[in-house]
Amino acid sequence: MSRPVLVRREQVLRGGQPLAFAVGLAVALVVGVALLVGSGHDPLRVYERMFEASLGDPRAWSVTLNRAVPLGLAGLAVAVAGSMGLWNIGAEGQIMAGAIGAAWVVRIGEGWPSPVLITAMLAAAVLGGGLLALGPAIARARLGVNEILTTLMLNEVAIRLVQWLTHGRWKDPESHNFPLAPMLPDNARLPGLFERAHMGVVLAAVVILLFGVAASRTAWGYELRVAGSSGATARYAGISLPRKILTVLVLSGGVAGFAGGIELSGTSDRITESLSNGFGFAGIIVAALALMRPSGVAAVALLFGAVQIGGQSIQTMGVSSSVSTILQALILFGAIAAGVLTRYRVEMVAGDATEAGR
Amino acid sequence: MTEPSHPIGPTGPSETSGGDAPSVELPAVELRDIWKRFPGVVANAGATLRVRRGSVHAVLGENGAGKSTLMNVLSGVYRPDEGEVRIDGVAHHFRTPADALAAGVGMVHQEFRLVPSFTVAENVVLGACERIVRRPAVESAVEALAGRFGLAIEPDRPVWQLSMGERQRVEILKALWRDARILILDEPTAVLTPGEADELGAVLRHMADDGRTIVFISHKLHEVTGFCDEATVLRGGKTVAASLSVADTDASELAGLMVGASPVITERPPAREAGEIRLQVRDLRCSDDRGLPALNGLDLAVRSGQIVGVAGVAGNGQRELAQAIAGLRHVESGTVHLVGEDRTDATPRQRFADGLGYIPEDRIGVGLAPRLSVTDNAVLRTYGRHRRGPFLDAASATGHCRDLVDRFGVRTGPLDEPIAGLSGGNLQRLLVGRELVGGPRVVVAAQPTRGLDVQGVKAIQDLLVGERDAGAAVLLISEDLDELSTLADRLLVMHAGRIVAEFDPVTAERHAIGEAMIGHAETADDTGGDQ
Repeated sequence: MSRPVLVRREQVLRGGQPLAFAVGLAVALVVGVALLVGSGHDPLRVYERMFEASLGDPRAWSVTLNRAVPLGLAGLAVAVAGSMGLWNIGAEGQIMAGAIGAAWVVRIGEGWPSPVLITAMLAAAVLGGGLLALGPAIARARLGVNEILTTLMLNEVAIRLVQWLTHGRWKDPESHNFPLAPMLPDNARLPGLFERAHMGVVLAAVVILLFGVAASRTAWGYELRVAGSSGATARYAGISLPRKILTVLVLSGGVAGFAGGIELSGTSDRITESLSNGFGFAGIIVAALALMRPSGVAAVALLFGAVQIGGQSIQTMGVSSSVSTILQALILFGAIAAGVLTRYRVEMVAGDATEAGR
Repeated sequence: MTEPSHPIGPTGPSETSGGDAPSVELPAVELRDIWKRFPGVVANAGATLRVRRGSVHAVLGENGAGKSTLMNVLSGVYRPDEGEVRIDGVAHHFRTPADALAAGVGMVHQEFRLVPSFTVAENVVLGACERIVRRPAVESAVEALAGRFGLAIEPDRPVWQLSMGERQRVEILKALWRDARILILDEPTAVLTPGEADELGAVLRHMADDGRTIVFISHKLHEVTGFCDEATVLRGGKTVAASLSVADTDASELAGLMVGASPVITERPPAREAGEIRLQVRDLRCSDDRGLPALNGLDLAVRSGQIVGVAGVAGNGQRELAQAIAGLRHVESGTVHLVGEDRTDATPRQRFADGLGYIPEDRIGVGLAPRLSVTDNAVLRTYGRHRRGPFLDAASATGHCRDLVDRFGVRTGPLDEPIAGLSGGNLQRLLVGRELVGGPRVVVAAQPTRGLDVQGVKAIQDLLVGERDAGAAVLLISEDLDELSTLADRLLVMHAGRIVAEFDPVTAERHAIGEAMIGHAETADDTGGDQ
């Protein structure tokens, strides 16, 4: 009798992560077939529709790219913190905080020229997101308070803040008493790129690229890697851990806030409590699949954008949009499971397997 | 193999099994000609072990001698490639640790396997009680078991509140609860304070008198001579001395058997003229990680061209001393002078710039960053010099790393691969090389050769002597008295956070040093001699 056991590889498989990702996608699509057949749909037609709506033509591409922007920036926010071993679970709220900052600039910036207004909006968005992360950052750096809990709880605060504003001071007088903020003026809108894609795509790509270079090529990124690998080693090398934690978490919040500003200015009509739309949480998955690397974040965000847009499109066929959510989750599970194989290989052994993995 | 056949004391809970005549004393444990190979390594090459029932039996050997592998074979973690495992005379083929436990063999691992949020009693019965039971009943049962063996423990306390010594008692209780008649303890005293180690010795004695059989893995000789009955010595995967009666031997004979004819203990390198004081510590006080006093007014001075050795029982402040000098531990009072300047409040980076090379006790996790590449680790101290604007110059960093690797003989794969693939000796060469490559004026080396193989030890020792000869002031903190007496020009003994004695390493008697290490310093010669 022989049976498979996992044996640790002496070196992690190079290029294993994209492979794991592909396996995860394949697993998701196969399981998806079962789901769709079970609910009485033709899986081929559904997949075809999803593909067409997300990647089928330039227009589909533009929508997918727009969706990849907040996913990628939120993923980058999580990855920046994650590269130092910190977990920013608060990107959802920081996106909101960024949107509040940007919307506030719109209120005071009536009549400003568009480039000035948009620049000010995005700057305010970065500040807003960074500000929301500042509390958790100080608490973690000075007192060692777990940032997972503090950033998570502040999500609620930010979302309630938007509700409070749209129900109160920021309510549009012409909204017939609906709790809605006023529509954005045209000069607060990001210019278009092609089809429905907006300039945010370029901005997000630049920001991700910048962080990629900073993380891998600069002394700052080196210090971050050392601190992420071992705090004691960082102290030994003369790197101030509290300062690193502070800057990294605030920066992470700022990147998420930037996503909020772009989302408001690029795709939303007005600030609403659903503007962040789960991007902050999806960003955690994106960052995890990208192994906290900026280059990976961009690729994963594009794929998740396509899956989300495809998932929305099949609702007109009577398929629940939950299918796309389930597919995203299955990709994660599949990729994480397959990721094990980048570190272990399967070996068939005779008899029992008591020494597996030792 | 000759084995003294003592009459046994009180019989254990086990019944003599097999068809042998009851007059023949069967060993509780018999491992015959065990072979175990791993890729590229032969861990056991025909090792044997015979353990008399009701005895405390030490298994001795250096790191890599095959002790742990042999114990893993005995406890069912590994299956031997060849050889026979007999428990009470009956051959067994353990497939899992559970099989071994069913035959009465329990293991207390070096790393505890406890659930921190569970209570003592919950941890003890975890996985070993068949139905839901009432908590008070379990707690009193655990208390009764602990009381029987003199293990002081409170069954209702959560494990996270316990000290290391108490946690170890929980581990021992777990094995006893599962009715282990043969208990293997893998370096049990490594995590204990000297007081706790003595208590453990008493408990083990108690259990042996109760008929249990204890297999005790260690490389601390005084523990073996202190509370073991017999000792088996392994070297290079083979048994070189089987079941020696501890009463008929002494520590130096055991030490000789452990190291064999290996050239670890080299000739004393010729002394060198000492120069000016490079490192001066005055009245230093600081606390350990738990906030308890670790250094209590410590004074020492190291001159250029001198190796000052610090001996002591682990946990007497050696770790904190090294960290305080390196700038990695808060100093409560006192001063540290480097090359004549007061650097008590300087950062680790400033001290490195002053010419302090620091080889920390924890290689991985302090001295080296585990997930980073060889190059990243090689430039840990000097990455500022490879900057070009905000950027790190990869070519310059790689060049530096290449130099380091060549000069210090680090055997490594690609330089951009994580250091995880390097062996212990090569990791230490990389770390020591990085600290020494700039020609430091002061070197603090904490346990620099611990756990290395013979060649590695020699290489690191030669490097330290080389630095001394080049004029550096070297502070060598070590638990290896042989290393200290060979290398040190002055030998200090540390006890309870102070230097309590100084010896001339050439003339000092080991006995006197040992007395000083345990705090009986009045016999020490020339205390407070020349500095």
